[in-house]
Amino acid sequence: MSVPALQLTGLTKRYDDGFLALDRFDLTVPDGEFFGLLGPNGAGKTTLISAVCNLIRVTAGDVRVFGLPHTSWEARRQVGLAEQDVNLDRFLDVEETLMFHGGYYGMSRRDARRRAREMMDVFDLRAKAGTRAPALSGGMRRRLLLARALMHEPRLVILDEPTAGVDIELRVELWRYIRRLHQAGTTILLTTHYLEEAEELCQDIALIRGGQLLARDTADELRRRFDAASLTEVYMKAMAA
Amino acid sequence: MRTGLLALTHREVVRVLKLWSQTIAAPVVSSFLFILVFGLSLGGRIKQVDGVDYEVFIVPGLITMAMVQAAYSNNSATVFQARFDRYLNDILASPMRPWEINLGLTLGGVVRALLIALALLALAIPITGVPIHEPLVLVLAVALGLTLFASLGVVVGVYAESWDHAGFVNNIVILPLTFLGGVFYSVDLLPAPWQEISHANPIFYLVQAVRYGFLGTSDVSLWLALGVTAALAAVMVAWSSWLFRTGHKLKP
Repeated sequence: MSVPALQLTGLTKRYDDGFLALDRFDLTVPDGEFFGLLGPNGAGKTTLISAVCNLIRVTAGDVRVFGLPHTSWEARRQVGLAEQDVNLDRFLDVEETLMFHGGYYGMSRRDARRRAREMMDVFDLRAKAGTRAPALSGGMRRRLLLARALMHEPRLVILDEPTAGVDIELRVELWRYIRRLHQAGTTILLTTHYLEEAEELCQDIALIRGGQLLARDTADELRRRFDAASLTEVYMKAMAA
Repeated sequence: MRTGLLALTHREVVRVLKLWSQTIAAPVVSSFLFILVFGLSLGGRIKQVDGVDYEVFIVPGLITMAMVQAAYSNNSATVFQARFDRYLNDILASPMRPWEINLGLTLGGVVRALLIALALLALAIPITGVPIHEPLVLVLAVALGLTLFASLGVVVGVYAESWDHAGFVNNIVILPLTFLGGVFYSVDLLPAPWQEISHANPIFYLVQAVRYGFLGTSDVSLWLALGVTAALAAVMVAWSSWLFRTGHKLKP
């Protein structure tokens, strides 16, 4: 059996104000899986992602990425993150955003330039190569965010509500990109509030609330376990329990 | 080769150059005006200070003032903006070492300050004829001063909760201390207790060290001036290193 892409053991995060966002959270995401994380606002989804990506200080527990401690440099290289907020560098244009990101992840200038052009082609950003992030449309910024997360060819891609606030056309387009990425062997961890998105894309779904795992299974199994006709019904029943 | 460090330093320099009118041109013009207005107009009345013409005397202090303000304000602004817009996360999540992130962010302000200093020198030398008597001392003094204020900018950028906080330190602390640090006068000319009080001003020592590099003269011993500046720089580097190593204020 291959090493899991992500393994959380007893992960706990208590913020300085005392709020317990994750409480002894255990989760294993196998290599190559398309994994969905569902839960209401404040459930702990973004905290979990931030812990994996070293953006918060973990209170207790163990986080492993492909068997490596998440703080190790090799583990960091394996993870690509597209955050919920569009956090693009306002001073850089599209090509610079991608190239500098490649540099932060250890890519040579030549490799970063080649990969940036590849990413701009994949995400239809070539015509905007010299445009600064604040001057891009909302849809373009979302694409750039995703392109940046994929720039260093990570094996685990974490997408925190990647389609929040985008129109249907772009959502379908992003689904296509993400699906293609998964087919190429990349492990995807997706958080979303759109249940149909999770049903459409994810092989396995975890429902979390109050920093704890409520249920985890395929969409079909979850429907059967909760005696529900749809994932929405599963979600409502799980959150009400 | 530390590709991450090079990329981040390059990013910081790109930011400085893209905002050149604000980051380079404005401080060069305002400092050059000081040289013209104070040096050439007051110079006619004051004649000489410490054996040199007044317009020559004030050049080292004015260049120091422009450099420390640029190094500080550049780094406090770039770090605060990166935190505020959250694009700092792209760097914090990367495999860069904490010291690389700290150094990369620090060097942006250093480059900006050096560009300003070179531009001011290019303007001041033909007009005032300011000499460089001790180039090695000058390089050392500038290196220590920039380390101190570039690191201070990073520290304040990490702690700041608003733009006002970063501006407050510049306007209420750095600017007054610089003006009172012997930029425009020799503290030997001050009556007691102002002369003694001036010795408690940390910027006074930096101005003296830089002035020694240019003119070969200062109000205090060169070693005391370099020593105080080096000690303060070490404290500030240790502080900023600790912030990036522990994630304090950077990672909730």
